[in-house]
Order: sequence, then C-alpha cells, then structure tokens
Amino acid sequence: MKCFAFHLMPWDRLPADFGEKYESAWTWLPNSLYDPKHGHTLYNRFLDELCLADELGFDGVCVNEHHQNAYGTMPSPNLMGSILARQTKRCKIAVIGNALPLYNPPTRVAEEFAMIDVISGGRLIAGLVVGGGPEYYSFSMNPTHARAMYNEALDLVVRAWTEPGPFEHYGEYWKLKYVNPWPRPLQQPHPPIWIPGAGSKETIEFVAQRRYAYMGIPYFHVDFFQRNFDMFRDCCQKNGYECDPEQLGWLCPIYVAETDAQAWEEYEHHFMYFAQQLLKGLVVLPPGYTSARSLIGIHSAMKQFLINVKTRKEIEDGAYAIVGSPETVRDKLAHYAKRLGVGNLLGLFQIGTLPAELTKKNLTIFAQEVMPALQKLDTRIGVAV
Amino acid sequence: MPSTRTINIAGKKTQLTEGGSGPPLLYLHSAGGETEWMPFHEELSRSFTVLLPAHPGFADSKGLEEVRDVTDYAWHYVDMLAELKLKNVPVVGFSLGGWTGMELAILRPALVSKLVLVNSAGVRVAGSPMGELFIDDLAKLRALLFKDPNNPVIKLAMPMDLEDRRILQWLAAREATARVGWNPYLHNPRLAAHLHRIECPTKILWGRHDKLIPLPHGEFLASRIRGAQLEVFDGSAHMLPFEEPVKFATAVKEFLVSSS
Repeated sequence: MKCFAFHLMPWDRLPADFGEKYESAWTWLPNSLYDPKHGHTLYNRFLDELCLADELGFDGVCVNEHHQNAYGTMPSPNLMGSILARQTKRCKIAVIGNALPLYNPPTRVAEEFAMIDVISGGRLIAGLVVGGGPEYYSFSMNPTHARAMYNEALDLVVRAWTEPGPFEHYGEYWKLKYVNPWPRPLQQPHPPIWIPGAGSKETIEFVAQRRYAYMGIPYFHVDFFQRNFDMFRDCCQKNGYECDPEQLGWLCPIYVAETDAQAWEEYEHHFMYFAQQLLKGLVVLPPGYTSARSLIGIHSAMKQFLINVKTRKEIEDGAYAIVGSPETVRDKLAHYAKRLGVGNLLGLFQIGTLPAELTKKNLTIFAQEVMPALQKLDTRIGVAV
Repeated sequence: MPSTRTINIAGKKTQLTEGGSGPPLLYLHSAGGETEWMPFHEELSRSFTVLLPAHPGFADSKGLEEVRDVTDYAWHYVDMLAELKLKNVPVVGFSLGGWTGMELAILRPALVSKLVLVNSAGVRVAGSPMGELFIDDLAKLRALLFKDPNNPVIKLAMPMDLEDRRILQWLAAREATARVGWNPYLHNPRLAAHLHRIECPTKILWGRHDKLIPLPHGEFLASRIRGAQLEVFDGSAHMLPFEEPVKFATAVKEFLVSSS
C-alpha cells in the first residue's frame, strides 16, 4: 500500500462564538474573519509539513481545491502543487482535484497539470472532480449542469493530453476552435487520474468503466466506505477486469503519539474543532447536483457522517479517525486497509487547530514506526496478512 | 372536481389539471410547484375554467433537459396554447410563473388578453436584493417565504420535513427552478428592456412582507409595464395566494372581469 499525506490547509482561528453566531464555515462565512498576516504563517507552515512528508519517505502528498471557506483555504491547489513540484524531491504530488466545471475553458486544467507534471519530472497525480456542493454557490455555477459539464470537460482534458493538436472541440458547454495546449504532460499517455466520490453510484460506475482510481471522500463511517468500495470492485468485474487496490483510496484522519492515552489527550479537542466547526455547512445539496433520489440517499447517509459524531467511542467504532500509539495505529490501519482493499491511504495528519509541533511529531512517528509496515502490506482482497 | 391529464406539447409530456367553469384562465405556477389543486385555484374556478399546467421538470411534466431558461418555458406555453387552440386568454402567474407570463406576453402578445403578476420573479432591482431560495433548511425556508412561519397553510405549500411523502417532487421542483433561475439568479437581465412590449392590461399583486422578492420589484414592474396597477397585500409575504387566498382570488376576478 502507498501512504500519502493529505493537507486541507484549514483555518485554525475561528472566533469563540462561531458555533452560535455562524451557520456555516462555508460560502457565507464573512471573509473579514480571514487574517492575511496569520495566513502568511499558516501557508508556509503547511507547505513545510508537506515537504517534511516528502523527506520522511511518504509515497505522496495531496492537496485539494475549495473556495470561500475556513475548512480548506486552498482555492488553487495548482499553485500549491507547483510549489511542491519544486520543493519536494521524490514524492508523488496528488492534486485531488481540480473542480472541472469551474475552469473556463477546462483546457486550462490540461495546461496547468501538464506544467506541474513537467516541472516535477512526472510526479503528478491528476485529480479531476465535479466540485463540492458549496462551490456551486460560491461560483454561482448552475448545479443542474454540473454532471454534464464535468463529463464534457473530463473528456476534453484527456483528449487535450493524448491527441495531437490543434483540434476543434464543439461541445455543449465549450466551443473551442483551437485546442492545442503547451506544454504536454511528461507522463505518457497522461498522468494517473484520480476521481474522488461521495458514494454516488453514477460516479463509481463511471470511474470503474474508465479504469481510473476512485478516492473515497472522507468522514463517513467505515461501513459506508466498505459498501462503496465493494460496489466499485463489482463494477470493475462487470467491465471485465479485477480491481487493482491502487484504484482505490481511503482518506482518514490519523494521529500517532507515544501512547494511546497521550494520543487522545493531545488530539481529541483538535479533532472535535474540525468535526463540529470546520465541517459545519460542508454538506449543502444544491438542486440538480445529483438526482433527487441520490439526494435523499445522501441525507440518510448523513447519520453516518462525522459531523454527527459526539464521543470518542463513536469515532473509534466508525474509524472516523485512527488515533493511538504506533502499534495501535499500525494494527488498525492494516486491519481496515485489508478489509477495504485499498491500495492508497490518504492520511490527514494536520487537522483544524492541530499545532505545528504536534503535526510534525505525528508525521515523524507515523513515518518511522507505522508507515514501513503499511508500505509492505498487500491489500488485495483475499490475500492474507 | 378538477381533472388531471397528460398531453404532448411539442414532444414534451406535460401534466395539465383543469377545473371549474366559465372562460379559460391560464395559471402559471411558482417555483414551489403548486401543481395540485389549491384553495385559491378553487376560488378562481368559480368564475373561470382554470388551466393549471406543470412546467417541464415539475410534477409529471418532462422535458427539462431541453430547457435552459424561462424564455424556453414561455415558448413551451406558446406551443401549449397552440395545441389547445387558445389565444387571447388571461394569464395569472405567481413568482416563477409571473416571470414566465411576462416573457410569454412579450413573445406572443396575441396569446395573452390580460396579465396578473403575483410576487413575480424576472427582474433584478438594484438596492433590493432577493433572498436565497436554494437552501436545504426547510424551517429557514418557511421563515423566508411566509409572513407567519407557523401559518397552518404552509402544510399545503411545501413539505414540512424530509420524511414528507412529497419530498421527491419538491426536490424535482427545486431542480427545475435552479435550471432556469440559478444564474442569473431568478431573473432575466434582458427582461426589463422588453417590458414596454407588454401590450395587455396588467395587474400586479404583491405581499408587502415578501423577503424573497421584495416589494420594490413590484414597484419597478408597475413603473415599466404600461398602465400596470400595483396592489399591495398587508397580510402576506411571498406566498400571497396561500396566505390570503380569498383576497387574492377576489382581486384577480375583479381585474379580469372589469372592462379595460
């Protein structure tokens, strides 16, 4: 299994009265709460944490795109990806992903991803995503066109990478007389494509059909991931092949310290800040973004979502986070990775308010005492540990 | 008793409910999708044969994928009136329906004899921002739409929670509304420049306490549509036909039967 360090670059200074005063950490949270001076420190610190992950031997680092929110202050993951392309030396750089419908024209994604791939020497993993519900409010993008725009954009990006230009694209949403991006990606025919999903059947079928990789979007109960990953494996089979564990990724908050007790002591209140404050308002379901029936399904899955979790026992039972001594974390992650059959662990090692020193310690102990065992792990379903 | 059937309008399967007796009246429903027979439809049906179609994407009406904006809805009603062999009919449009009615009267003036606009969407008025309709929280939505969020008629107008059996239809209505009204938000930026082309007598009814589409929108429409009269209702917010069904129906009837 491959181990990635995923960073959200969250805002760690919401006001004390946030809970009562603000309905959401998203879209409508006044940006007067953003302090650029502190932002300067945070961005640089967060980039240091990802560079550290590279030095510690992680297989890759992950950044992602969100807009107008405190949960993840990374409106352009490509800016971060390009810094990391220079500052890291050997790890993969997974941008998970660019929200395709927000790019006009989407060939911009083909160009920017190719730049990162070329600068990094072929270390890019290209995440291509529909974009979360809140983004459709932040950009006033019509969510009833989200899927159709995404499908058109994804095909266009892959074509732009693989088909000699210039060529014409006359689609429903974009009309381009000359598609001819410079540069082209270093990895041929194109960088690996990862597609995150929240469990919609349509996405799972689509990713399996195209043999891309499916990333389980976080913060659901582990049983929910299990159902989705099983569904993905079935879809691969229906398309005539066995799912490779590398086609699956599981995002999970992880905290390791010297002992179980110390880990919880150091971590729990930071984790609850994340769960109760930063996640507040994450799940909005703009109309038409997915079918009415799926919307009802997601509403019911919310019972198994981190924002509703209150106790340490619930966190442990649902594997909403893996917390403890190196031994505990190693055993639990190995257990769940085998059970889920995932070849990529996307660990969140910094979360919300977790300070720099504890993040560094977390990454270091994980890399030294947990990761080596996981990297040797064969997570194919049915293969014994 | 009203009856509901499905008719084919230029390839779009369209739900049409009809009730009452007298001359025809075309009622164009709001984003809330009041495609079931409501008390105010019943009031109107004492004097008119009320035609209550469901817009594409609402109730059992199909064809939303062919629709990009409210002008496409208006063209759909051009097709429907041709199919029903009707012209010069009075049109009553509530909110999204009022917007559709204005676009219809601009596209085909001969089809519309008189126009009643009720808390109508369609224009953007600087300094009078519209509320956010696309929110998940039904309690907040009730507070946005009704003068009294505990008014018992709310149960008629919208689902009370996610367990409500009407929720799928409600979500479909939201989707259809978003399709035509997400951006530009609940208006057509070109509509204001066309309003002088509305030839028929026009009456504008508005709930004074409307927080979704505030009263200055009604005043703006009255100032731009030739001869339009504005009547303001103190007892209601956006959901005027639900909140004051008898007063609403009376005002519509008085205007439609008066000579012009």
